[in-house]
Amino acid sequence: MAATASSSGGHERLRTGARAVRAVIVTCQKWVALGAADADSAGHNAADQRFGGTSAADQAALEWALRLGAARSEAVTVIALGPDEASKALRDAAAAGADRLLRVDSSTSIDSVDVAAAITSALQSLGAADVSFIVCGDYSLDRGSGSVPAFLAAMLGMAMALGAVGIDLADGTDVEVLRRLDGGRRERLRLHDSGVISVEGSTATLRRASLSGVLASKAKQIEMHTPTRSIDHVARATTMSTYRPRARQLAPPVGGNPLARLHALTSATHRSTHGETVVLDPQMAARRIVEALTVWGYLDGESGPAADAPTR
Amino acid sequence: MSETDFDVVVVGAGPAGSCAALSLAKAGHSVLLVERGPFAGSKNMYGGVVYPRILDALIPNWWEEAPIQRWVTRRQTMVMTPTQSLTIDYRSDTWAKPPYNGATAYRPDFDFWLAGKAEAAGAQLICSTTVTGLLRDGHGRTIGVRTDRPDGDITARLVIACDGVNSFLAKEAGLYRRDVDANSFTLGVKETIALPTDVINERFGVRGREGADIEIIGCTGDVNGGGFIYTNLDTIGVGVVLKLSKLGAQRQRPEEIIANLKAHPSVAPLVEGGEVKEYSAHLIPEAGYDMIPTLAGDGLLIAGDAAGLCLAAGIWLEGVNFALASGMYAGDAAADALRSDDTSAAGLAGYRQRLERTFVLKDHAKLRHIPHLVLGDRLQQEYPQMVANIVERMFRVDNPRPKPGIRRILTQERRHAGIRWRDLAKDTWTAMRGFG
Ligand SMILES: Cc1cc2nc3c(=O)[nH]c(=O)nc-3n(C[C@H](O)[C@H](O)[C@H](O)COP(=O)(O)OP(=O)(O)OC[C@H]3O[C@@H](n4cnc5c(N)ncnc54)[C@H](O)[C@@H]3O)c2cc1C
Repeated sequence: MAATASSSGGHERLRTGARAVRAVIVTCQKWVALGAADADSAGHNAADQRFGGTSAADQAALEWALRLGAARSEAVTVIALGPDEASKALRDAAAAGADRLLRVDSSTSIDSVDVAAAITSALQSLGAADVSFIVCGDYSLDRGSGSVPAFLAAMLGMAMALGAVGIDLADGTDVEVLRRLDGGRRERLRLHDSGVISVEGSTATLRRASLSGVLASKAKQIEMHTPTRSIDHVARATTMSTYRPRARQLAPPVGGNPLARLHALTSATHRSTHGETVVLDPQMAARRIVEALTVWGYLDGESGPAADAPTR
Repeated sequence: MSETDFDVVVVGAGPAGSCAALSLAKAGHSVLLVERGPFAGSKNMYGGVVYPRILDALIPNWWEEAPIQRWVTRRQTMVMTPTQSLTIDYRSDTWAKPPYNGATAYRPDFDFWLAGKAEAAGAQLICSTTVTGLLRDGHGRTIGVRTDRPDGDITARLVIACDGVNSFLAKEAGLYRRDVDANSFTLGVKETIALPTDVINERFGVRGREGADIEIIGCTGDVNGGGFIYTNLDTIGVGVVLKLSKLGAQRQRPEEIIANLKAHPSVAPLVEGGEVKEYSAHLIPEAGYDMIPTLAGDGLLIAGDAAGLCLAAGIWLEGVNFALASGMYAGDAAADALRSDDTSAAGLAGYRQRLERTFVLKDHAKLRHIPHLVLGDRLQQEYPQMVANIVERMFRVDNPRPKPGIRRILTQERRHAGIRWRDLAKDTWTAMRGFG
């Protein structure tokens, strides 16, 4: 079943007055340094531009943006957030066919919410009255949390379809996105004429840039943007740590049959007894999910997030 | 001129290619430098020592900015048998000061830096792009190259092939000699081993940015070849160069030969406790002057290893400086040919003349017979044992026996090693002619 995700008609939908600019597809690329940074004579830690790049997911996102641009006859703008080395990602994108390049001058180690805010302010500075689609990778080369696209959709008031494992462009007006859900299930979302999409790396292979594309990309202008937007109202992470499920104490299984004991210990052959279907508005649904996870023992009541706090 | 049309396209951003591009860009020509790796130097390896004095002409005071690991102040030549070794050790203060002599450097650093110089001078560099063949007109004249990119043809008035050993472009143009075969090449393999800087300093007797270079003969068992150990700041390069035909015949693995070298009592204390960071291998054009191909065709020049210009003469393994120089001279000759609007083979004859006037072909011509001598069975299998035995007897104190006369030791050990006077005289004469 295809569900339709529509824009929430938003509080922050991009509108820059009466100036109408043609629609653009935007793709966001995160350039990540892999080598050790060397301090230069000025003490600035210059990442070694030889060792770094974008993730397979970001490259797939660029490919989808280019395909969308062709299907919708719209220009493709690429935004990279990062230091000067991120220009490499932009030039590679230009070589592959992107029309406009924008670098948001920033460190790459900032929170997803700040990244999204910086990109949002950059989009406003572009003077784009209407961004049709934004395509992002599902993860960056340094893995990341994949949450930037969701923040972008929220800030821009656009519909979103995240974690795509397949995309059907059709004529580019209605874009169908196949998403992976838990338990091997799939969800098909239809975005009508606009939306934020994040894609997995396996969805597309970035086309090989033509020779003239590569040569032209060297002289292509990169517009610069310094983020100004303040985002004080958004909840922030106070500590960052790797997620580890809480250990649960179980009584040792009894019985003479080792296999049966193993089954009992791992619940391998048991169907999950948890699960319910409810129809609630988003806030109530979130509250219900946190409650259920707490009751089922997946969240520690003390260290877990409070049920009514915005979570990241 | 279209955006894919250049005065010159240079294939390969190794030392030869970058110098060719640098010299042409300085002369004001439009140059495209095409490299298959993701950045210049990314696919390149060697033993570890460069002699960059030839860069004086292109990059004054290059030593102030080149990414050098250590300046070689200590040079050793070691003759080895499985249980013995004899080392000649030379150290110089002069080599620790500008303009220096040899230097150790990592190729992904050095080649990247040099290609950057070519770019800064105005050459365009494109990476991750492989040249797959030559474009030729109806008369067989080279008019550009084909790459593996969509719409990937590049036209140029001249192509300079600096694509390294076993150049497909030189072969395609029919410039290689017919008698060049597996015997003309060796396989070089190297382990890069990490050790703390102060441990390297202590083990190799160096300080600060000083470095050591050890060339070894007699360390490759039944496979003719040679070995080397070079010091970087916090790694050492340990490797061997192996005659291809022997390697195949003996059915030995190169990494086993390095393992044996590392286990030798004279080498083990130097590498002990190190962690292997990298293993790499590459072909070397070893046959010297006798394998040098025709250097110019209509619209085409070849330089560096592509032209077989690596000098591998036992105590010397120099390829980078020969590549730097031949690349630079190819660039200079190309600029002359472009100026006189004659890029035919005849118009490019200035290239060979430049090589003949300078160390590039002078050294090769002089040392013409040395590669055969050094990789020959006698020097590989018999002389190291004889020399080690002679030295062992000279220094052994066998009291109450009196010291034997050196002439007697020489005669006995020569006989013991089964070396005929005639062969010894012949080899000495070849060595004198080459090195003398
Ligand atoms: C184990 C070993 C030890 C050595 N030790 C020393 C030493 O200590 N000192 C010394 O001076 N020399 C040494 N040499 C020799 C030295 O490495 C070479 O002589 C030198 O690198 C030659 O430079 P070049 O520019 O001609 O070729 P290369 O350095 O081989 O560069 C060729 C370039 O062309 C590129 N290329 C190839 N084909 C294509 C294509 N089709 N399209 C686009 N790009 C292409 C390659 O990626 C590469 O960047 C050693 C060699 C080996 C293998």
